[in-house]
Amino acid sequence: MKIIYTDALIVGGGLAGLRSAIAARDKGLDTIVISMVPVKRSHSAAAQGGMQASLGNSIKGEGDNEDVHFADTVKGSDWGCDQDVARMFVTTAPKAIRELAAWGVPWSRIGKGPREVVINGKKETIVEKDEAHGLINARDFGGTKKWRTCYTSDATGHTMLYAVANEALKREVEIHDKKEAISIIHENGICSGVVARDLITGELIAYVARGTMIATGGYGRIYKQSTNAIICKGIGVAIALETGIIELGNMEAVQFHPTPIVPSGILLTEGCRGDGGVLRDKDGYRFMPDYEPEKKELASRDVVSRRMIEHIRKGKGVKSPHGDHLWLDISILGREHIEKNLHDVQDISKTFNGIDPADEGEKGWMPVLPMQHYSMGGIRVKPTGESTKMKGLFCAGEASCWDLHGFNRLGGNSVSEAVVSGMIVGEYFAEYCATTHLNTNTFTIEKFLEEQKEYLEEILSYDGGKNIFDIKDRMRTIMQDKVGVFRNGKDLDDAVNELEELLKMVKEITVTDKSFCNNPELNEAYRVTKMLKLALCVAKGALDRTESRGAHYREDYMKRDDENWLKRTLATWTNPNDTMPTLHYEELDINKMEMPPAFRGYGKKGAIILNALSEVRETEIEQIKETLGKVDRFTMQEALLSFELPNNYKRKNERVGVGYD
Amino acid sequence: MINKSQQVEENPEGYREIEITIFRYNSGKKDDKPAYQTYKLIETPGMTLYIALIKIWSTMDHHLSFDFVCRAGICGSCSMVVNGKPRLACKTRTEEFPDGKITLLPLPTFKHIKDLSVDTGNWMNDMSIKVESWIHSKEETDIAAIEKPIEPDVAQAVFELDRCIECGICLASCSTKIMHEDFVGAVGLNRSARFAMDPHDDRTDDEFYELIGDDNGVFGCMSLMGCEDHCPKELPLQTKIAYMRRKMVSLK
Amino acid sequence: MPQNDNTVELLTGKDRLGKKSRIPAWLDYLQSATGLFLALFITFHILFESSILFGKEAMYRLTKMFEGEPFIEGGEPLIITALAFIIFSMFIFHAFLAMRKFPSSYKEYQRYRAHSKLMHHQDTNLWFIQITTGFAMFFLGSIHLYMMMTSPENIGPFASSDRIYSDWMWPMYLLLLISVVLHAWVGVYRLIIKWGWFDGDNPRQNRKRAKTMIKGLVAIYLVLGLLSLASYMKIGYDHQDKYGERYVSEVKK
Ligand SMILES: Cc1cc2nc3c(=O)[nH]c(=O)nc-3n(C[C@H](O)[C@H](O)[C@H](O)COP(=O)(O)OP(=O)(O)OC[C@H]3O[C@@H](n4cnc5c(N)ncnc54)[C@H](O)[C@@H]3O)c2cc1C
Ligand code: HEM
Ligand code: HEM
Ligand code: SF4
Ligand code: F3S
Ligand code: FES
Repeated sequence: MKIIYTDALIVGGGLAGLRSAIAARDKGLDTIVISMVPVKRSHSAAAQGGMQASLGNSIKGEGDNEDVHFADTVKGSDWGCDQDVARMFVTTAPKAIRELAAWGVPWSRIGKGPREVVINGKKETIVEKDEAHGLINARDFGGTKKWRTCYTSDATGHTMLYAVANEALKREVEIHDKKEAISIIHENGICSGVVARDLITGELIAYVARGTMIATGGYGRIYKQSTNAIICKGIGVAIALETGIIELGNMEAVQFHPTPIVPSGILLTEGCRGDGGVLRDKDGYRFMPDYEPEKKELASRDVVSRRMIEHIRKGKGVKSPHGDHLWLDISILGREHIEKNLHDVQDISKTFNGIDPADEGEKGWMPVLPMQHYSMGGIRVKPTGESTKMKGLFCAGEASCWDLHGFNRLGGNSVSEAVVSGMIVGEYFAEYCATTHLNTNTFTIEKFLEEQKEYLEEILSYDGGKNIFDIKDRMRTIMQDKVGVFRNGKDLDDAVNELEELLKMVKEITVTDKSFCNNPELNEAYRVTKMLKLALCVAKGALDRTESRGAHYREDYMKRDDENWLKRTLATWTNPNDTMPTLHYEELDINKMEMPPAFRGYGKKGAIILNALSEVRETEIEQIKETLGKVDRFTMQEALLSFELPNNYKRKNERVGVGYD
Repeated sequence: MINKSQQVEENPEGYREIEITIFRYNSGKKDDKPAYQTYKLIETPGMTLYIALIKIWSTMDHHLSFDFVCRAGICGSCSMVVNGKPRLACKTRTEEFPDGKITLLPLPTFKHIKDLSVDTGNWMNDMSIKVESWIHSKEETDIAAIEKPIEPDVAQAVFELDRCIECGICLASCSTKIMHEDFVGAVGLNRSARFAMDPHDDRTDDEFYELIGDDNGVFGCMSLMGCEDHCPKELPLQTKIAYMRRKMVSLK
Repeated sequence: MPQNDNTVELLTGKDRLGKKSRIPAWLDYLQSATGLFLALFITFHILFESSILFGKEAMYRLTKMFEGEPFIEGGEPLIITALAFIIFSMFIFHAFLAMRKFPSSYKEYQRYRAHSKLMHHQDTNLWFIQITTGFAMFFLGSIHLYMMMTSPENIGPFASSDRIYSDWMWPMYLLLLISVVLHAWVGVYRLIIKWGWFDGDNPRQNRKRAKTMIKGLVAIYLVLGLLSLASYMKIGYDHQDKYGERYVSEVKK
């Protein structure tokens, strides 16, 4: 057993982890990133569509700024987000994208003059300004007022991840891949590192650091059908839960994406619809305008996903051996556009389904169905990114519940969050590491190492004859069928009970290969156990939340209930022998909101039980506005909601035509 | 040594049976001997090697090791040698093989770990450091100010080269790399070309020469074109290596 | 101090200014340049050689022309010696440069073979052709050039045919012919790729075209060479009884 010391330890080498590592290195800290897979293979690479930042370069983004982005994000979250964090985020996002540009991300650029685009299924010509020539372009995405999603064709996450990873290599961040964190070392509420497993040799290593950051991404693989990579198992989040101290926030907030391809679950980017693609049913009929006359295919993801399932339930789905599905039609965009801007989409469709989406008419339609896509929930942290409960443990990216996304995140906001939180939280984290002394002793470290060794040996000694793969399948099917797009009390109750049974059943498995090293079956055994705990947090959270908000939709409680449920679910696993998480809640304070809860502008109107405080706050805001009179938007904003940012990130952002206004 | 493990599966639709033969060896185990193992399974419609391997792993042989991450041809994890050709397994459909016989080997030139799993991450990181695969710029960027304008065509051209997913297939298809361990390969040369074309990078040709101007760099390439012909991202490796070679040779 | 730039380079791989050696660039360039030069030479050589197909007289005239007959009465075979010497130097120089690319140990060779057998990749196999033909030519070409250099006067319709037939040189020429034709054209194909000469708008397509063209040229040159060789054999066979006799120009007769 090996102990490695460093100043700053980061678990997870996706966008969030690597950008944080850069922040730490820039403070001169020795920094190690450990990752389950080579960092450039992290799931961030899969993001196709783009990154939101209110640059307002394109004519279709004119007038965009932090305020508009903020409003979109808050509405998108169905008022579940933390508005302080949303403010921090929208102010830093333009800086993030410009930093990435300087690091070489080849953002698609604007060419001045007329350009043909497809809006609403119709070809239109827009004219780009001369002074915007060569600046970063943006496309339309669901749930946004302006065209704000910057992109590199449809490999945005890939180019971003490579730029950030290369910058990390340049700064001599130490990268240890094929290492999996399996437990958090902590004492007296302070974290001092993790126990990791070398996935090649099986060796247990204690990584000991002044500060530890978890940036391990999402946990979509608890669902049978998911767009996520197969490593998105949430182990990083689960080990935080297993400390018994750390809280997970809003685990029931799971996003379903409207257009993964059937049956493989590989995502077809929202850019397909953003660029003008449409959804069709078995009759080839474009049905979205009937449900959402204003936003149509581009309403927020939770809405589109539900409408699709609703439409299928009306018998309008296309029958197939893999169940019913609908069609996504992008052939109207024209072959040239597809081959240039949606190349990967075409590639995926051709390779995995043998369909060329550029083919005119029905031949080019791609089968799609909503599937799990994003985990809004995660480790609950303060705006600084530090766990609400454990000192020295930070979290950023999809693994966290920072809470930018509330109950639904907007497309393009999550790679953006990953980088932006890497900058902001990374900075706070680095600050912490730079000013804190290591506070642990070898005795504690060895205790944690020993504990994990014994745990793994225990797994190898189970001898009940059951198979971990069956348990996993069962779990994923339950989640799919009972904790999906539409939820109801009975199914959720069943799901919680069955999942609990499965968790107990883990002790009855037999691992056939008894070796410690290079044993994928052993890996699966402890991972599935951890996944089951997360699944329980999701299912139990969903069962108890008797309202519909954002992506969480209850057929038996169809209204958003601000009166009772304007609060964040917090889950802890108080005792290692528990078979059920303990839930409690954190109220959201309407009195401090810059934008008190209201109608989102899409979805069903009148499906809201408003909180009386909304109106109170609304009046208060009006008053503040009146008192201040004519001031610039920054002063006004500050008066409504004051927030802090490290590292000068609060500077105003320059924009074409308007300068720093 | 050939082991046969058979599995009786339900096959009501009468799909064909395929045979997948896999190289088995645990480099981490002292007394392990390389072997081939053959698995028979029913081919389902649209089956990829990802689906097939997951099926073998979860129902027939829990000890098998391989690497998949995205299963969508995006991350570059799953490169292996499929009937002699280095390819991305997740993008390979079993129906491509009319006789239903598929042999899988781990990717050569990388450190072998176990069965189909090899260590690509460390090699790729070293390569990135060797060719200094990042922007070199003397200008300070003010990230609050409007970004530097770039011609759309130039950005697009850089993007084309930035699409490399470090899958290592170009190396595994390159006999030069097979013979000369320290060769940076098409992946490294393409990376140099990518930065040489990027207007943000102000390195001179002389500076690039320092990085790739030797027989482990661009002059090591013997134009065997295995890289070009197998690259799953269809990067223009042929022309970009030539581009760098011309640049490097024309220096004084 | 007994120190010069070369010592610095020896020790550091960089020159005195800390710059990386330019030698690899030169070697790479020269390898291609010499290869191209030799390929051009061979292109014409085989064309000239095939003049025998137009009869003994044609070949004789051409030979004499190379001996500089228009200027020097009766021709001067030493010109051939000089020419052969230049070519020989080039040949050795090229071989010296290109040999850097040979597998440097049996292990390397074995790895290469195992790999290329596994992969069945055409361009990789072409390289195998190139190194084996290069290797063969190192001996065969040297013999030929040595002969040309030392007895330039023994070139002519009869002398050459006798050498080929009666002196049993034909097996060597056969091998040399196959080697050189393959080596030269494959080499030219690889030059096109290597330096990106005819990339055009669609480099992939153009590479395919280049390959097809090269295959055609290999076929043409093999046929041409074999016909000439057959022609020499025929003349040699007919002439075996008068071995040693020299051809006399029809015109002079
Ligand atoms: C198909 C798809 C498309 C998407 N498209 C978009 C888009 O267009 N726009 C957008 O904004 N968002 C998009 N997203 C979401 C976005 O990509 C992710 O939310 C974001 O990239 C997450 O980044 P991250 O750094 O938090 O985590 P990841 O990139 O997932 O990185 C996680 C890291 O943690 C490591 N890790 C995990 N567990 C452990 C462990 N136990 N020990 C050690 N290391 C561990 C992994 O190896 C990896 O390095 C998309 C997501 C998917 C699935
Ligand atoms: C200046 C140098 C050269 C001279 C003067 C020369 C001359 C000749 C002559 C006179 C012949 C006819 C056969 C003979 O007389 O033996 C011949 C044949 C041939 N030479 Fe050369 N040669 C030269 C260089 C080369 C080189 C460098 C090569 C290749 C490596 C080459 C390859 C051949 C081949 C393959 C044949 C047989 C041609 C056939 O089959 O038609 N020669 N050469
Ligand atoms: C002793 C004889 C020779 C040897 C050993 C030899 C060997 C080689 C080798 C190994 C290569 C490959 C180099 C690489 O892959 O980069 C090569 C390239 C080449 N050879 Fe030769 N060769 C010989 C003679 C010739 C002759 C006679 C010709 C012309 C007819 C020729 C033309 C070429 C050409 C055009 C190339 C391509 C150059 C390049 O890739 O840069 N070679 N040779
Ligand atoms: S250049 Fe192509 S083959 Fe090589 S690593 Fe990149 S994507 Fe893979
Ligand atoms: S296969 Fe290898 S030799 Fe060069 S052209 Fe590609 S790198
Ligand atoms: S698993 Fe990512 S490329 Fe195959």
